Amino acid sequence: MKLSFELNGVAQYLEADPGERLLSLLRRIGMKSVKEGCDTGDCGACTILIDGRAVRSCLMVAPQVQGKRVTTLEGLGTVDDPHPLQRAFLEAGAVQCGFCTPGMVVIAYELLSRNDDPTPDEVREAIAGNLCRCTGYVKIVDAVLLAARWKREGRWR
Amino acid sequence: MDGGRIHRFHVARDVEEALSLLSAYGGKGALLAGGVDLLRGPLARVEGLIDITRMGLSSVAEARGGVTVGATSTLTQILESPAARRYVRGILVEVMRAVAVPPLRNMATLGGALVSAHPWADLPTALVALGAEARWRGEKEGKAPVEDLYRGEFRKTFRTAVLIEVSLPPWDGAFAYEKVGRTRYDIALVNACCGLGIEDGTIRWARVAVGARPDRGERLPEIEAALVGREPGEKLWTEIQELVEARVEVGDDRRAGRAWRRKTAGVLVRRALIRAARGAAA
Repeated sequence: MKLSFELNGVAQYLEADPGERLLSLLRRIGMKSVKEGCDTGDCGACTILIDGRAVRSCLMVAPQVQGKRVTTLEGLGTVDDPHPLQRAFLEAGAVQCGFCTPGMVVIAYELLSRNDDPTPDEVREAIAGNLCRCTGYVKIVDAVLLAARWKREGRWR
Repeated sequence: MDGGRIHRFHVARDVEEALSLLSAYGGKGALLAGGVDLLRGPLARVEGLIDITRMGLSSVAEARGGVTVGATSTLTQILESPAARRYVRGILVEVMRAVAVPPLRNMATLGGALVSAHPWADLPTALVALGAEARWRGEKEGKAPVEDLYRGEFRKTFRTAVLIEVSLPPWDGAFAYEKVGRTRYDIALVNACCGLGIEDGTIRWARVAVGARPDRGERLPEIEAALVGREPGEKLWTEIQELVEARVEVGDDRRAGRAWRRKTAGVLVRRALIRAARGAAA
């Protein structure tokens, strides 16, 4: 079936099977930041934004995004021009193997888009559904709080 | 998720269209709202998905002193709606925040939670305690307290019907929700939702529901009756805790044992009552 939606600010017109997972479709068109971890909505590695809200792309079929605005990590920053959240993750040392990182950055982006002065507990609640098996989470929370500070100081683009 | 057999995806424009599609598929069609249950498991028999999230059933509004929630409202929409935040001192906010994690709340709908009705789920226990009423449309219009639905063949009903909305009545008092899971965000091993109305230092009404027993949340009318007419306080809470332990119907499953659930149910009801009493007196 034909599908049209906005992906990272660019209009997409493409073919998808009605039962194709959104996660698979996004990876098929090059959005490799979207990771397949558990495939049951539990790990958060496939987290993306739809109309600004974080969702699990493994628990969606492609046609659900018809007419919607989809954002993946690729839409937030690039290697040459990282998003402030990505810079904060680097600066805080919040990355080890990196598998969970795209989902972590995306979920943190949603939190900070609604609340740019979160408490550590609010950060922990926001990322509670995103599993990281390396870091122990402490530095991830530090990174999100650092990015929040930068945002309050007007240091986001 | 394996959507291999799905060969059609429909976006229903209204309830009539959803119902006619559902009937045309004759058991091989599935209504899709948040998808957190439907698309999690194998979709062995499903050939057609019918998206019901674009039919205008995602509103949260004050109604008759209470609040009416459209079936496809997400838990996040409820959490963020002024009407739900005002309802009975924010009990809906407390309950929604106990369910899963933010991205799943962004997807999961109240209607989905009501119809999936997992025995360990938070929302059935809260809806039963709060006296929620469901309205649906199948061949005919239907309306019933959620509590009565759960005692009957609701799964059969919703095979050929679309849930429209859930109405929560006003309560002059306060409620509290308690759950215990292996982690703060895991499913409940036991949960409890309790409400109290207090006037002149005396309990005028009480609502007590316990869920994940491991069976679905149910009210404990005997406990409610034992609370009414009494003075809230330590003596009463201890008495009620013991009564819950003695009377609650609990069982074993792979997550927890019967004896542990019995003790925990007593503790959770006690904690919820203490907080409800504090809220009702404020």
